[in-house]
Amino acid sequence: MAERSEPVLQVRDLHKSFVLHAIGGRRIEALRGIDLELYPGEHVALVGSSGAGKSTLLKSIYRTYLPDRGEVWLRPDGRDPVDLLSLDERSLAARRVREIGYVSQFLRSEPRRGVLDSVTRAGRRRGLTPDDAAEAARRMLQRLGIGEALWGTFPTLLSGGEKQRVNLAAGIICPPPVLLLDEPISALDPANRDAVLELIAELTDGGTSVLAVFHDLAAIERLADRVIRLDGGRVASVGRPTDILTELTASIGAHR
Amino acid sequence: MTLVQPRPSAVERLAGGEPRRALLDELSKREIRRAVLTAVAVPGYQVPFASREMPVARGWGSGGLQITLAVIGSDDVLKVIDQGEDAGVNAANLRRLVADASGVATTTVAGEATVIQSRHRIPEEPMRADQLLVLQVPVPEPLRGVERDMTELRRMHAETDYARMWVSLYEDLVRNGVITQTPGYPCLVGGRYVMATTPIPRWDIPKLHRSEHLSLFGAGREKRIYAVPPHTDVEPLTFDDVPFEVEQPDGACCHRCGSGSPASAVSSFLVELPSTGGAGRWVCSDTDWCARRTEQTSRYGTAAAGGPVREHEEVGR
Amino acid sequence: MTPALQVEGLGKIYGPGGAADVAGTGPDHGRVVSPSSGGVVAAWDVSFSVGAGEALGIIGESGSGKSTVLRCICGDETPTAGSIRLACVDGGGRDLTELGASARRALRIDRLAVVYQDPAEGLDLRLSAGGNVAERLTAAGWRNFGGIRSRAAELMRRTDVPLDRMDDPVKEFSGGMRQRVQLAKALANNPPVVLLDEPTTGLDASVAAAVLDLIRDLLDELGVAAVVVSHDFSVIELLTQRALVMQHGRVVEAGLTDQLLEDPQHPYSQRLVGAARG
Repeated sequence: MAERSEPVLQVRDLHKSFVLHAIGGRRIEALRGIDLELYPGEHVALVGSSGAGKSTLLKSIYRTYLPDRGEVWLRPDGRDPVDLLSLDERSLAARRVREIGYVSQFLRSEPRRGVLDSVTRAGRRRGLTPDDAAEAARRMLQRLGIGEALWGTFPTLLSGGEKQRVNLAAGIICPPPVLLLDEPISALDPANRDAVLELIAELTDGGTSVLAVFHDLAAIERLADRVIRLDGGRVASVGRPTDILTELTASIGAHR
Repeated sequence: MTLVQPRPSAVERLAGGEPRRALLDELSKREIRRAVLTAVAVPGYQVPFASREMPVARGWGSGGLQITLAVIGSDDVLKVIDQGEDAGVNAANLRRLVADASGVATTTVAGEATVIQSRHRIPEEPMRADQLLVLQVPVPEPLRGVERDMTELRRMHAETDYARMWVSLYEDLVRNGVITQTPGYPCLVGGRYVMATTPIPRWDIPKLHRSEHLSLFGAGREKRIYAVPPHTDVEPLTFDDVPFEVEQPDGACCHRCGSGSPASAVSSFLVELPSTGGAGRWVCSDTDWCARRTEQTSRYGTAAAGGPVREHEEVGR
Repeated sequence: MTPALQVEGLGKIYGPGGAADVAGTGPDHGRVVSPSSGGVVAAWDVSFSVGAGEALGIIGESGSGKSTVLRCICGDETPTAGSIRLACVDGGGRDLTELGASARRALRIDRLAVVYQDPAEGLDLRLSAGGNVAERLTAAGWRNFGGIRSRAAELMRRTDVPLDRMDDPVKEFSGGMRQRVQLAKALANNPPVVLLDEPTTGLDASVAAAVLDLIRDLLDELGVAAVVVSHDFSVIELLTQRALVMQHGRVVEAGLTDQLLEDPQHPYSQRLVGAARG
């Protein structure tokens, strides 16, 4: 963790609401002015009760959700910062390939594409040569416990846990400087969960900055440098994992 | 049938002489000559013209006939062939018709003629700059086989869009291993228009390429005239790696003049004579050329190496 | 850098009327027929650009104008308004709508390829599969039979058409196979821009999926700029990174494809996504 350097990701006053035209234009305020920084090599965990806006925040940063207003400054590798929200779509699509990645909890694997092929293509999109990409994909899948027997199968035929690991492999092969992880271990058994956490720890050691949502408090304790607690679309508190988790447990207790 | 000639009227007697039967009036001839001039100016381009009714059925040479009638002058000498022979029924009739209408002299000797009208052949003897070849064309549109729509055809010619013509050759090669199209092999004229050489055999196509003479093509039914001026490129459409080949039956030679035999230095377009015995016999399609070669052979012995009239290098290519 | 394809203010009116008669049409009025002229404003004020290696989707119901836009770009229709530029034509300095019909057609040989929903529109069904590819190649000046054969075979392999069927007439092919041949033909001369108009609509689900996968692989590998028109969100989702939503001849929303699917803004887009997602 290098707090003194420039943040690699900086979110300023991010607002996001949903207007549901089908039900009379009802407006749902999901994010009400979020500010946060993510520093190079830092792992920041987002916590909060469901509906607090954790996933919405990740998607709004990645612009899968279109924020109402605010700024999301990306400063990859010390280059000039760029506001993702003001980028045109083509430039944003290009940045998504090389500079900011997103791995969702949902198992949205590409249909009808073999496991190895899927992960290899992800590597090729990030600029690896065909051989390097295939090699990296094999290593990644092996590390995540996806055996060679499954490499030719379509991800749709895999179990939830397997799918999630394939998804993750595609997301972190040749990792971008900023990685957004949305519950990447929710469907994993303990052994595989440990393998994934170890891998994520290695990523941050290698300089990748991670903004993640985990349900698993042990995982947060193990990986996170800082924790941001969201509540009602706002940042409720920021701090070290132990402090925030204590606070979180207390607040859950209080609710009871 | 004998026509009962009425007694000449006083006016006719005053006018004197036997009036010729004019198949075309002078204005019509002029219109056709204009079309011919346009055709010469744009080699290979099909010029529309107001095809007249002729005393032959359309499709029986009415287009060639109109061109010949329009361009022939009193001092011309006419030769008409259909296949290679002068004696064919249609050739003989057309020859008499033109001679009757224009009063020109006729011949069967290619070298003596100044205008040669033909349907299926170009004479074996190379034509000279002072000679004119008129070809009767049944289907002037080379792209007819690949497109029926007239507007689209015009567009294809205008844009030199001949891809589909090439594809038809491609398909022919794929299906048959050779390009089967003969006669009427498509040729690119002057590097611009694809022209139908219908219905001359492939054998005669090289005779159009950079020729000394002017060739005029007339299609009476389709109302089109086109031309290949002297010294114009006429290139059969061929793939680089599939050479253009003329029809030449293996080992066949003319049983009269010996053309095409190993002993003969010349070859000619041969046709098979029908026979009841089974073994076909071949004979020159150009009867005039063959007859004079045979004559020379009998007169000077066997060494009829050259063409029949002049000693020239080679006939055909 | 000039994008491979740039469309600005494109409009097409069928029937009477001009730009002045566009008023009163579009999503706000729920109609495409001009109240003043009676002309059909099939598309109006459509602008977008597509870069090399990028695929843009245009989604909407039938009659929304998406196919009209495609037909205006490829030259099947003459637009009433707007400009179309290709990076490969005078470096984008030339508005294609100013070109003559013949120059526009010439672009179709090797710069701008279209894959139609109906293979009969893009293919000559009487010709063999190889012959259809040969048409494109000979149009581009290929004159070597062996060369044409091997290039056609290469394209058949690439589009998963069995080689032993290369010389069969396309009319004997199944719908999915015809679509593969159409792809082979479209890609024959490596065009930098490829337009796909409902490329899998009308095919059986399993066949459609296979053709779709083929298109996805081709787009991945060839680095072309592609425009994919479809009414089917799954097609747009699989093939494109960005998309436009069209309704009543207008673009009502444009964005990244995942954003349009997960967070559609316009009421019509929300309805479309809602219907697609169940």
